[in-house]
Amino acid sequence: MSIKIIKKGLSDRIVDQGRFGFQDLGIQPSGPMDFLSAQLANIILGNALNHPVFELHFPASTFEFQEPMFICISGANFVPVINEKSIALNTPIQVYPKDQLSFLQPLEGRTAYIAFKGELDVNKKWLNSYTSFQTTLNKEDHFSIKPTPLSDESVNSIEHDLVQQVQKSLFNEHEIRFIPGPAWNDLTPASIQVLMQQSFTIDAKSNRMGFLLEGTPIHLTESKQYVSSAVTMGTLQLLPNGQIIVLMADHQTIGGYANLGQIILVDLPRLAQLNNHSHFKLSITNVQTAHQLYRSIQSWFIH
Amino acid sequence: MVSLGMQSLENHFHIHLLGDHAILIKLSKGLNGGIDRDLLALAEFIKEQKIQGIKDIILAYDNLTLVYDILDFDSNPYLFVNQLVANFIADASNHNALNSASRLIKVPVCYDLSLGIDLEAAAKIANCNIEALIQEHTAHIYTVYCLGFLPGFAYMGDVPKKIQLPRHPQPRATVIAGSVGIAGKQTGIYPTDSPGGWQIIGRTPIKIFDKIKLSLFKAGDQVKFNPIDLVLFHELNNQEDVH
Repeated sequence: MSIKIIKKGLSDRIVDQGRFGFQDLGIQPSGPMDFLSAQLANIILGNALNHPVFELHFPASTFEFQEPMFICISGANFVPVINEKSIALNTPIQVYPKDQLSFLQPLEGRTAYIAFKGELDVNKKWLNSYTSFQTTLNKEDHFSIKPTPLSDESVNSIEHDLVQQVQKSLFNEHEIRFIPGPAWNDLTPASIQVLMQQSFTIDAKSNRMGFLLEGTPIHLTESKQYVSSAVTMGTLQLLPNGQIIVLMADHQTIGGYANLGQIILVDLPRLAQLNNHSHFKLSITNVQTAHQLYRSIQSWFIH
Repeated sequence: MVSLGMQSLENHFHIHLLGDHAILIKLSKGLNGGIDRDLLALAEFIKEQKIQGIKDIILAYDNLTLVYDILDFDSNPYLFVNQLVANFIADASNHNALNSASRLIKVPVCYDLSLGIDLEAAAKIANCNIEALIQEHTAHIYTVYCLGFLPGFAYMGDVPKKIQLPRHPQPRATVIAGSVGIAGKQTGIYPTDSPGGWQIIGRTPIKIFDKIKLSLFKAGDQVKFNPIDLVLFHELNNQEDVH
């Protein structure tokens, strides 16, 4: 036993970058809400980008460590403290047996990640993913981790530029970009105008399955039944009441609502960090731009 | 290889981008009474190519979605899939024959009132007696159109018109795993305990989803429900628990 949950959070879990290859069986990938922060925390410790991490929402769990190891916290700032002493984000932190890590308040962002330097007990693995199926961390849950040393290299070269770049791309007021989907042409001109101009508010019912958007109702030119087809994280589905839901990490594999478009991968972490009741605007982009942006973001992580 | 013009390709399939990491291939002729053999063959063809970077191939009704890793795709995804589909069409005669025989899966279902908790109400809605409803449900062979909602949840159809039933206006908080339900034209089995709004008419003792064998069903399968009594249900149910 190396890490134990001593107080249950609202909805925390272990995730890696998700399991793909099973969506035809209805099994969703269930990766992180914010893949950038999960990758950042890992790279700071010199881990593989896909290494499992704890994903936290506020109020977050309290953790107790039983062995010395290195951790790194990235993403949202929930004011992490170890034994009531404040610790830095995006930096390797040495923890010792009996240390308790808790989070005081949701200062910025929605989702935080804790990476750890070590091997998680492989028994936790299902379908090549550490994302256990729809289970959240509970009090008394414990995780066997075999700590591994931090290489000198990763201690010395904490990449401030990289941290800056990720922070800048996560926390800004930019529009959230999407590529129009199969049902885009079924929208009324007035609804297209609303979509392009309005500031949407994230509804309090939002969660890992989807973000529900408050705003002027959106309409199709005629009510239409769509044949169900696959959906992805970032899909903008139009509900029958005119509301939009953005599908997030725990989305179902198939959807039958009008598919208005999908938010591009590089903007999903920024959306995932928006809290309930915050606002954002949408804008249209194209697949070439989206691919370029994604490639350039992934190149940050290559040494 | 026969090269097909865009014109001819367009007649078979519509290709639509689903954002920056997925692409949808849709049969132009639409839904033709179930999942299409051509589409199953296309899915099989794409699987055989073992294309680097394709992470998921998801079939549903009249469409097929490929989920891909951007870093593995240098080319324009739209043109790539267009070429893929053209290659398939050029090669199609081989594949149709290969796929013409789909699996028939027989599923034992107990239609006892204690398990089919909506049976009585359902028979009233269908304006027939319970035996007639069971008879209708079991006489038909269904096609799996897609899996979704939950891991292993197969949407099957079409349910005969006579016994098509509306969803409950208010979903139940828990429907027990194995419950067999009807919702409109579709019938299906809950793979795990979950909330659900379908009319429950019976329960199967066999596990249709677990973390080792994954899903009993895949899109394109044929399914027949065989009625069993409560004694056999419990016997089979206990066997499943042992495994």
